[in-house]
Amino acid sequence: MALSRRLLPLLRRGGCLSASASPARALSMAAVPADADQEEAVTVKGVRISGRPLYMDMQATTPVDPRVLDAMLPFYLSRYGNPHSRTHLYGWESDAAVEEARARVASLVGADPREIFFTSGATECNNIAVKGVMRFYRDRRRHVITTQTEHKCVLDSCRYLQQEGFEVTYLPVRPDGLVDVAQLADAIRPDTGLVSVMAVNNEIGVVQPLEEIGRICREKGVPFHTDAAQALGKIPIDVNQMGIGLMSLSAHKIYGPKGVGALYLRRRPRIRVEPQMSGGGQERGIRSGTVPTPLVVGFGAACEIAAKEMDYDHRRATTLQKRLLDGIRGQVDDVVINGSMEHRYPGNLNLSFAYVEGESLLMGLKEVAVSSGSACTSASLEPSYVLRALGVEEDMAHTSIRFGIGRFTTEEEVDRATELTVHQVKKLRDMSPLYEMAKAGIDIKSIQWAQH
Amino acid sequence: MAVAAPMRAEVMSLFRSFLRMARQFSDYNIREYTCHRAADAFRENRALGDVPTVVAAFAYGKKQLEVAKRQAVVYSLYAPKAKSIMEMKLQ
Repeated sequence: MALSRRLLPLLRRGGCLSASASPARALSMAAVPADADQEEAVTVKGVRISGRPLYMDMQATTPVDPRVLDAMLPFYLSRYGNPHSRTHLYGWESDAAVEEARARVASLVGADPREIFFTSGATECNNIAVKGVMRFYRDRRRHVITTQTEHKCVLDSCRYLQQEGFEVTYLPVRPDGLVDVAQLADAIRPDTGLVSVMAVNNEIGVVQPLEEIGRICREKGVPFHTDAAQALGKIPIDVNQMGIGLMSLSAHKIYGPKGVGALYLRRRPRIRVEPQMSGGGQERGIRSGTVPTPLVVGFGAACEIAAKEMDYDHRRATTLQKRLLDGIRGQVDDVVINGSMEHRYPGNLNLSFAYVEGESLLMGLKEVAVSSGSACTSASLEPSYVLRALGVEEDMAHTSIRFGIGRFTTEEEVDRATELTVHQVKKLRDMSPLYEMAKAGIDIKSIQWAQH
Repeated sequence: MAVAAPMRAEVMSLFRSFLRMARQFSDYNIREYTCHRAADAFRENRALGDVPTVVAAFAYGKKQLEVAKRQAVVYSLYAPKAKSIMEMKLQ
């Protein structure tokens, strides 16, 4: 009540409101060019779209949940202290908030709060895990095992270690994206220092058998690292049940802020790492640097919400994924799902459309924000290395689209995405001579293309 | 002294407040989510039996309503110029 009374004199002074604007819009100080008010369309990179696209790229990043933003704002406004300041209220309250957030992150994964270390994100966590562990134990352990479908930061860290003289085994995956556990067990040597297998793949959404891998690593006495950035808050994670020794977590994949993540480091048996950031010894010396209180509080709030909403979100995502898949497959044929359907997180659907050129499909889907391949590799024209590891043919890899379904995705959005995708695929196939030939029964692979 | 369970009218009033609050969000996705999440939560909690759980759920609901009120204001202060295509008529 009091808020609207305070707004009233401002509204009277500011002139009349248009019927569609909400009362607070008139107060907005955001820079808006006066003459652009009428133009609702958005023109970016030469493409004109009538409004903001519907967002189906949840694996790249997720919108910040309003409840998370609500938890973060006080720490940008009045409680702006440095959590490492020991001498005044600002520091104490900031530190209390950080520790509370730490406990929330820990409880989501079944860990002790002393095992959680805040970093700038999953990439930094992966760097600390891979390089830090191997460098600490460099005298006795010289071998790392990982998979070909890991995130670029893990693969790049492994390549860096190879330059330092370590040996790395990149395990292949089966065509459904899952790693062969027996093959992994065979690859473990007496001098293996780390096994790194990601929990949920960001490109294809496949869930690896963490419990089995954890059991094998525990038996053989090798630390098990998993990149759980896409898995946190989406599938239940228990570090003790899964035998996880190190885990990388990211906030902006679970409706938290960008720029913060956490590394889980087991205490029993203790896993040591060599710190990658030198400085004042914050975070028990594992990661120096001021802990960003607002971001960490946001991460904690996101984890708390995820713990409560995991079942609800999972059920919704499953329903929506089925709706999307049935909708697309019901109207176009020759659609291939990349990755196992049984061992999959339902919010990630990676489809390949045969006889359709990938770039033109994406260009036509400007009203749906989707991605082809992962955001990290989209700068180059190479087909995604993950799809190549699955054995997907190059032309099919080029036409892959990754649909991301999240907490805020609606049924109408799924229906609209289906409609737009089907429309675009049909349009491109109508123009495609390859599709004509395939429909006529000609086997494309057997064609001898004439050389001019 | 034990807290009394909320009356049915209070619960319905809280639910209506949620729906009213949801309409105030300028963001399409948040608006839809608030609506159906509130509806599903209230529907699920209808089956709750013992008083302490009901009281806790009601208190939680009121706190979430406060969050929604604040955030509706924040979101409208920074609402983008172009609306989501889901809110525009089909071309």
